[in-house]
Amino acid sequence: MTNHAPRRTILHVDMDAFYVSVELLSRPELVGRPVVVGGTGPRGVVAAASYEARRFGVYSAMPGSTARRLCPTAVFLPGNHDLYVRVSRQVHEIFRETTPFIEPLSLDEAFLDVTGARRLLGDGATIGRHIRERVASVLGLSCSVGVAPNKFLAKLASVAAKPRVTPERVLPGFGVFEVVPGREIEFLHPLPVQALWGVGPATLERLQRLGVKTVGDLNALGEVSLVSALGRASGRHLFALSCAHDERAVETDRAMKSIGHEETFARDLHESGELRTELVRLSDGVASRLRGAGVGARTLTLKVRFAGFTTITRSTTLASPVATAAAIISAVDPLLANVDPTPGVRLIGVHASNFGEPVEQLRFDDLLAQTLAQTPDNETPDNETSHPASTDWTEATVAIDAIRQRFGDTAIGPASTMSATGLRLVRRGAQQWGPDHDREQPKRG
Amino acid sequence: MKFRCERDLLADALATAGRAATGRTGTLPVLSGLRLELVGDKLTVTGTDLELTIQLEIEVGGERDGGVVLPARLAADIVRSLSAGKVEVSVDGDDVSIAGGRSQFAVRPLSLDDYPRLAAPASSAVTLPSGEVGEALRQVVRAASTDEARPILTGVLLTAEAEGLRMVATDSYRLAVRDLPGASVLGADQKVLVPGRALSELQRLVGHASELTLRLGERDATFEVGNTRLTTRLIEGEFPNYRQLIPASYPNKLTVARESLMEAIRRVKILARDATPIRLQMSADSLRLTAITQDVGNAVEELDAVLEGTELTVAFNPDYFAAGVEAVGGDEVTLETLDALKPAVLRGVGRPEYLYLLMPVRVP
Repeated sequence: MTNHAPRRTILHVDMDAFYVSVELLSRPELVGRPVVVGGTGPRGVVAAASYEARRFGVYSAMPGSTARRLCPTAVFLPGNHDLYVRVSRQVHEIFRETTPFIEPLSLDEAFLDVTGARRLLGDGATIGRHIRERVASVLGLSCSVGVAPNKFLAKLASVAAKPRVTPERVLPGFGVFEVVPGREIEFLHPLPVQALWGVGPATLERLQRLGVKTVGDLNALGEVSLVSALGRASGRHLFALSCAHDERAVETDRAMKSIGHEETFARDLHESGELRTELVRLSDGVASRLRGAGVGARTLTLKVRFAGFTTITRSTTLASPVATAAAIISAVDPLLANVDPTPGVRLIGVHASNFGEPVEQLRFDDLLAQTLAQTPDNETPDNETSHPASTDWTEATVAIDAIRQRFGDTAIGPASTMSATGLRLVRRGAQQWGPDHDREQPKRG
Repeated sequence: MKFRCERDLLADALATAGRAATGRTGTLPVLSGLRLELVGDKLTVTGTDLELTIQLEIEVGGERDGGVVLPARLAADIVRSLSAGKVEVSVDGDDVSIAGGRSQFAVRPLSLDDYPRLAAPASSAVTLPSGEVGEALRQVVRAASTDEARPILTGVLLTAEAEGLRMVATDSYRLAVRDLPGASVLGADQKVLVPGRALSELQRLVGHASELTLRLGERDATFEVGNTRLTTRLIEGEFPNYRQLIPASYPNKLTVARESLMEAIRRVKILARDATPIRLQMSADSLRLTAITQDVGNAVEELDAVLEGTELTVAFNPDYFAAGVEAVGGDEVTLETLDALKPAVLRGVGRPEYLYLLMPVRVP
């Protein structure tokens, strides 16, 4: 295969124990101790663990109870999401000194396409070292940088750059690790096959039955055998990755294909009314981000995970792209009305995709309100379901955006998200450790 | 069971009934099949997904009475592919044999015992002219919603109005209302809500016949056209009060030749990708259509028109607008508007029996 495009240089920058490191900036007395952020409520999972805590086997996404058992001496902090968002923005400002092509994956990691910056700033490893130094000197935080010709290898390279943890001690990492062009295979093939994106537990089991342990083993099987073992899509995908091929571009927010928010609840919800409040909150967050990106979405998807972990998704495609909370709510509300919450709902999510210019196909609003009110299983009273979907929300929405820009996100929001302690709005990434953090303040220290 | 039949006759019957059989292998796999029942020389072919049932009777050369359920898709594909001429179908031990020319197929049938028993249609019948009903269906069914999230809007309302029958459908973006004067099917206050999907199937059937028989039951409606019977469950629930949506008067009325408008839309639509709206700029003696797709290009076309009222620009979804202009019929069409954000109404000049109400698209 010939490739006439210039070789790309992609950086994957991953903050080291980001939430913990941010906390430690204001609590220097905890430096060097096992510290865990999150994992404090009944459903709480660990959002981040310091490298000292990782020595005890504590990792992010682990249930808080397990973390406590493994490392009883750890300091558990509730987490301050707004602070992490602020610091994350500052990190992105530093990225932007180098390139505008930034694809954030979460608050603490991002891909950067620095292909165009090489001529000015030096090769990928040089740029990576420069970014590390800037992040350390400006913010006092450390990060690991993977440098490679594509996203997939860059992500693996940043793992190789990370500090290493043994039960005895924490060893410093390379900081910057480059997969040198031409030596991709040499780097990739000895890695365990789990390193490939798309190898989950089921695929892994099948591969192990074929005697595949490393990426090299998988590559040696050949595309034909892989396709017959794993199916066409998965087989081809993994084979391409094992050849170090990954053509995906770094996608900035504007070029994103979908925007979504999800929330895992501290306890299972059984009532449509409660779910609807969450739905309004999530829709508001999605709408805000759509407008921020200057797009509207035609397809809206509701995701519901039940107590038994069964997950369903329901989608609707509108006649034209929308970007207001009211329009999103009126699209997803009927989807929710058809969901029976009695088994208990653990998570709901709202995702927007199929983007276009935000024009709005208007509806017969009174008619819509009537049919919504009649939808079976909808326990909310009629006056609440009657969304003025096509009344003029445009001006109100412009005002909402202006207020949020000036006074912060929680300055204004849907009435149904109001509680005694203020507005509970959606924040990007906030679901990572469940909603326990602002309701149940754990003891510190 | 054993019979012989002309390939085309059987292929058509299997295809028509097959449209009601379900493609999904859901809770009741037998519904992906067609029931064939032979009594004497009469073969009855039935397909159903429990919501919609299509049944045909055809004349065949019967040899041995009996019944069988065949996989709908497979049976139709087999019969259609045989060489022209006679086809012989017979139950042969565990298999069903389908043979034609020098080809021979053995197909494993589905369980006849599992096939649902279908209720007999209501006995009271009304006969309607199928030509006019067919036209009305064409005009109305297009406005029904296909979004199962709002089941009521997937139906077409049949209601008694002005000593006739009225059909109404809306997907909440547009509304179609069609009167069939003189067709008294329903009692004074009677209304039924018939699934749009069933009516679009009916639309395919009415083309061939001159008469259509309707039998209304408590929970279902049966339509009979020629040798085909279509039964559908009715949708339960209250259709929204559509009358309040139609403004009492419009200050602006644009009149334009329908054929040239349709052609202009067709051309301009090339630059209206997906749901990119078409803008209608109305002035005293002309109508200007514009479509702009970012990063692709734009199209403009100007037509002669007469505007009574004030100059105005309104934007519509190109497909919804085209569907309305096409449906109203007549040589000239009027577009009546209040403002850029209120419903607009399309009518054919000299066609008082039909109206198409359409919500605009708000553009930046």
